[in-house]
Amino acid sequence: MKKQAKHAALALGLVTGLATYGSAAMAQDCTTKVGAVLPTSVDWGKPIAATAQYVVDLVNEAGGVGGCKIEMVLRDSQVDPKVGVDAAKALVDLDGVQVLLGAVSSGVSMPILTSVTVPAGVMQMSCCSSSTAFTGLAKEGKAKGLWFRTFATSGVQAAVGAMVTRDQGYKSVAIMYKNDDWGQDIGKLIASDFEALGIKVTASVALNDGQASYRAEVTEALKGQPEALYMALYPKEGTAAVREWLSLGGSQNMIVANSLKSDEFRDNVGLQYLGKAIGTDTASPRSNSASAFVDQYTAHFGKAPSGPGLANSYDATMIALLAMEAAGKGADGAKIASMVSKVTDSAGTPITADAAGFKKAKEVLAGGGSVYYQGATGNVRFDANGDVSAPAVTWGFSDAGAKELSFISLTDVDAFIASLK
Amino acid sequence: MIGLISYLVFFSTVAAILSIAVLGLNLQWGNSGLFNGGVVAFFGAGAYGTLILGGTSQAGHLGGYELFYPLALLGGMAAAGLMAWIVGLLTIRLRHDYLAISTFGVAVAFENLMRNAEGLAGGAQGLRGFERPLHAWLGDGFIYNACFLVFVLVLLIATYKFLEVLIRSPFGRLLRAIREDETAARSLGKDSARIRLTSLIIGSVIIGLSGGLYATFYAFISPQDVLPILTFQIWAMLIVGGAGNNRGAVAGAFLIWAAWTASGWGLSRFAPLEMQLYTGSIQFILIGLVIVGMLLWRPQGLFPEKLVVSQSGRPKSEINRE
Amino acid sequence: MIQHLVDGILVGSILSLGAIGLTMAMHMLRFANFSHAELLSIGAYCALVFDGVFKAIYAPLAAAIGPLSLTWALALAIVISMGITGGSAILIDRLVFRRVRAKGGELSMVFASFGVAMIIRNVLGLMFGLQVQLYSKDIVFAVVLSQDPFLLVKPDQIFSLVAALIIMFVFHLVLSRTTFGYSLRAVAENPELAQVSGISLIRMITLIWIIGGGLAAAAGVFYGLTNQVNPVLGRDLLLPIFAATIVGGIGSIYGAALGGFLVGIASNLALLILPSGYSPAMPFLIIIVVLILRPTGLFGEERH
Repeated sequence: MKKQAKHAALALGLVTGLATYGSAAMAQDCTTKVGAVLPTSVDWGKPIAATAQYVVDLVNEAGGVGGCKIEMVLRDSQVDPKVGVDAAKALVDLDGVQVLLGAVSSGVSMPILTSVTVPAGVMQMSCCSSSTAFTGLAKEGKAKGLWFRTFATSGVQAAVGAMVTRDQGYKSVAIMYKNDDWGQDIGKLIASDFEALGIKVTASVALNDGQASYRAEVTEALKGQPEALYMALYPKEGTAAVREWLSLGGSQNMIVANSLKSDEFRDNVGLQYLGKAIGTDTASPRSNSASAFVDQYTAHFGKAPSGPGLANSYDATMIALLAMEAAGKGADGAKIASMVSKVTDSAGTPITADAAGFKKAKEVLAGGGSVYYQGATGNVRFDANGDVSAPAVTWGFSDAGAKELSFISLTDVDAFIASLK
Repeated sequence: MIGLISYLVFFSTVAAILSIAVLGLNLQWGNSGLFNGGVVAFFGAGAYGTLILGGTSQAGHLGGYELFYPLALLGGMAAAGLMAWIVGLLTIRLRHDYLAISTFGVAVAFENLMRNAEGLAGGAQGLRGFERPLHAWLGDGFIYNACFLVFVLVLLIATYKFLEVLIRSPFGRLLRAIREDETAARSLGKDSARIRLTSLIIGSVIIGLSGGLYATFYAFISPQDVLPILTFQIWAMLIVGGAGNNRGAVAGAFLIWAAWTASGWGLSRFAPLEMQLYTGSIQFILIGLVIVGMLLWRPQGLFPEKLVVSQSGRPKSEINRE
Repeated sequence: MIQHLVDGILVGSILSLGAIGLTMAMHMLRFANFSHAELLSIGAYCALVFDGVFKAIYAPLAAAIGPLSLTWALALAIVISMGITGGSAILIDRLVFRRVRAKGGELSMVFASFGVAMIIRNVLGLMFGLQVQLYSKDIVFAVVLSQDPFLLVKPDQIFSLVAALIIMFVFHLVLSRTTFGYSLRAVAENPELAQVSGISLIRMITLIWIIGGGLAAAAGVFYGLTNQVNPVLGRDLLLPIFAATIVGGIGSIYGAALGGFLVGIASNLALLILPSGYSPAMPFLIIIVVLILRPTGLFGEERH
C-alpha cells in the first residue's frame, strides 16, 4: 500500500512537472491554436495526423497565419466516439480553437459536429468522413455552414469504379465491401451503377471488421463465377480476402477503391497477382503543384503518399489554414468557415499546395483578392453542404507504389454520373 | 475561465451518465454476483430505443415516432430490460459462466445487428435526426449543457436513492444472501433464480437509462458507440470504485473517466507524434494493469462495501452513530 | 452447400483446439476465462518469431514442405511455440489467477481475465505492430478436390485439419491410457475426492494450463497459416471458441472438440440463409439455440 502511494506521488510529480513545462512552452509571443482529433493510435490514422502536422510546419515556414505561429493541438480519438467528443470539447473550451480538424470515422465526426462544434460555432473540417448522413444534416441546415470535408462523397468513387468496369468489358462482377458506413454506402451505390450499365452483379458480400475467417464470404462471392471483383475494403481485411479469393481460383480482374492504395496490401498479396488490378481515386490536378506535392511529401517522409486519406488530410489542413488567413486575426469559426469559398474560388488566383503557395495566397488575400487552391486531391471546391467534388483518376499497382493510368476530368465524371440516372 | 467551466460541465455530464450505468452494473455484480459481460448491449438498447422512439422521421428506416421525451426514454429502458429478461431466462439457472458468455455474446450480436439492419436503425451510419428535448427554448450552447447536467444529476441521485432503498429492503438482503451462499438461501425456500433474474433486469434497465441519456446528449448513436470497449470501461469503473458500494461506483466512474480523458490529454500533449501510435495501446495496458492490480491488492475497491445491517436489535440511534 | 460444409470443418478444427483448453480450465477453475483466446495470439506470434530465427540460422529450413506454404522452420517453430505458450499460461496463472483465487474471488477471476486479455492484446500490438503479418507471402492455390459437387480446398487447410486431428487423437490416448489421464478426469469429475485420493490439485492445474496453452498455440499457428496473424486474432476468435465450449457442455473435453466443428459448420452454413454482414453474430445465435434446446450442452452435466 505504501509502495502504491509512493508510485502515485511520483506519477503526480511527473504530471505537474510536465504541466509546468507545457505552460512554459506556450508562453511564446504569438501563436494561434488549431485543434485536431484524429485516431493516432490506429496504424492508418497516424500518417493522417503526421500529414496535418506537416502542413502546419509548412505554413509556419511561410510565416504562419495572420502573423502568428500555428500550433496544432492533436488529440487521439481512439476511434471511440465519447473519447473523441471529449477531446474536441476540451480543445474548443480549454484551448479555445476556432478550427477543428477531424475526425476520420463518421461515427466520431458526427457527435463532435452535433454536440461540440456546431453549438460552439467552431469550424470543423474532416479529411476522411464519408457518410452521407453529413449531407443530410447540412441540408437540414443543422451544420450551420461550419462543416466541410475533403473526402469526395462515395458517389464519384463508385461511378468511376463502374466506368472502369464497363471500359474493361467485364460482364459480371462480384462486390466485396467493408461493413461500415463507407463500405455499405459505396457497395450500394456501385451495385446500382452496375445495374444501370447492364453489368451483372453476381454477389454483394459485406466483410466485417476483425472476423476470424473470410473463407465463407469469399466462397459466397465466387459462387456466380464472376469475371471480375470489385472491392471497397481496407488493407487489413482486403489482404485476407484477396489472398483467399486468389487461392480459391478467383479472377485477377480486380477493381479497387482508393482505400487499397497501400504498399502493405500490395506486398502482402504480391504484385504478380495485381497486374490487372485497377484502382480508382479522386485525382490530383494536372498542374505542377500536384507532382510538387508528391515530391515534397516523399522528400519529407521518405516515402510516397500512398496511404488512404493522406492527400485529403493535406488539403483539409491547408484549406482550413488558408481560410483562417483570409478571415484575419481573431476571427471566429463562422467567419473562418465563410472564407472557405474565398480560398477555393475558381475565379481567384491559382496557388500551389506548398509553403510558397501559401505565401503567395497571403499576398493576394491581403490585397483583397481571392485564391484558387490547387490541392493534392484536385481543384477542391465545396458545395453548399460542405461536400467536395473532384476529378477522378485510375491507377494500378507498381513497384514504386501506385502509378496513374488515366485521368477523368470533373466534367466527364459529372456527365457519366448523369448518364447513369 | 468560462471555457473551463463549460468543459467541466460537459465532462461531468458524460461522467454522470456513465455513473448511472456503473450503478446498474453494481446491482448486478456488486449486490447479486451476476457477471454481465455485455453491459454495452443494454446501454445500446436504451440508446437506440430512445432515439428510435423520440427522433424525427428519417428516410429508409424505422423510427421517427417523435414520442414525448420521457416516454421515449422509458421505452429505451424497457428495451434494455426486455433483452435482459430473455438472456436471463435462458441462463440464470445455469452456472455463472453461462451468463457471462451469453451477455458477452449479446453485446457482439447487438452491435452486429445495429451495423447491418439498416431498416431498423440506419445501419453503420447510425441514427441521427433527434431533436434534444427543450432545445427550442434553451438553444444548444452552454445553457443547454448546464440544464442537461442538472437533469442527469437528478436522475443519478434518484437512481442512487432507489438502489440504496432497494438493497436495504428484504429483497436486497435476499440478493446478498444468494450471492454469499446460494444453497443456504434455497434451503430457506427462496426462489434464487427468480430473484437473480429480477436483479439482472433492474440493473439492465438502469444501464439502459444511462444509454438513453448518452444518446440524448449527443443526439446521435452509431454502432461505433456500442463496441465492447465500453463494457470494459464500465467494469473498470466499478472495480476501482468498489463493487457493492454505490458511492464507490459513482466515484469510480468519475475517477476512471477523468483518468481516461486526462491521460489522453497528457499523452497527446507531451508524447512526440512518433510515439502517439503507441499511446492507445499503452493506455489500454495501463487500464488493464489497474484492474488486475486492484483485484490482486485491493479487491474491495477504493470504497469497500459496507455491510448493511438493515434490521438490528439495537436502537436506531446507535446504528446511525456508526 | 458441400463447399460450406467442408469450409466449416476446416475452420472448426481450429476452434476445437482452442475450446479443449478453455473447457478444461473453465471446469477445473470454475470461471469463464476471457483471456484464453489471447493464448492463440501468443502462440501465433511466438511461431512467427521462431520461424524467422530458424530461417536465419539454417537457410534450407526456409523451404516449403511439399505443396504447402508451411516451411520446415515454421513446423519446428510450432513445437517451440506450443511449449512457450503453455509456459505463458502457467505464468499468467501464477501472476494473476492463482492469487485472485487465493483471495477467494472465484467470480473476480472472470473480470481479472478480462483485464489480462486487454493487457496481452495490447502488449502484442506494441511489440509487433498493429499491421497484418503473414508466415509466408506466397499464395498457395487451392486444389480441386472434386468437380461434382465442385469442391476447392487449400493444402494448408488440409494440413491444419490433419494436424489438429492428430493432436486431438494423441490427447485422447493420453486421457484414456495414462495415469495422468485418469487423474485429470478424476479431478475434473470431483476435485475434492481426487485430492483425497492423493492427486495434487496444484500439479493438475499446472498441467491443464500447459496443455491448454499448447493446444491454443497450435490453433493460433494454424489460424495464422490459413488466414493471417494480427494482434486482435484472439479477440476475434473468442466468441466462437466460447460457443464451442457451450455447445459441447462446459467441462467436457470431447464435447469441446465436437463443439468446435459444429460451430464452424453452423457458421458457414448460416451464410446460405443470412447476409454475410451478420456472421459475427452467428456464434451467439448458436449459443442461444443450445441454451434453449439443451442448456448443459451435448455432453455437459448439470451443475450449478
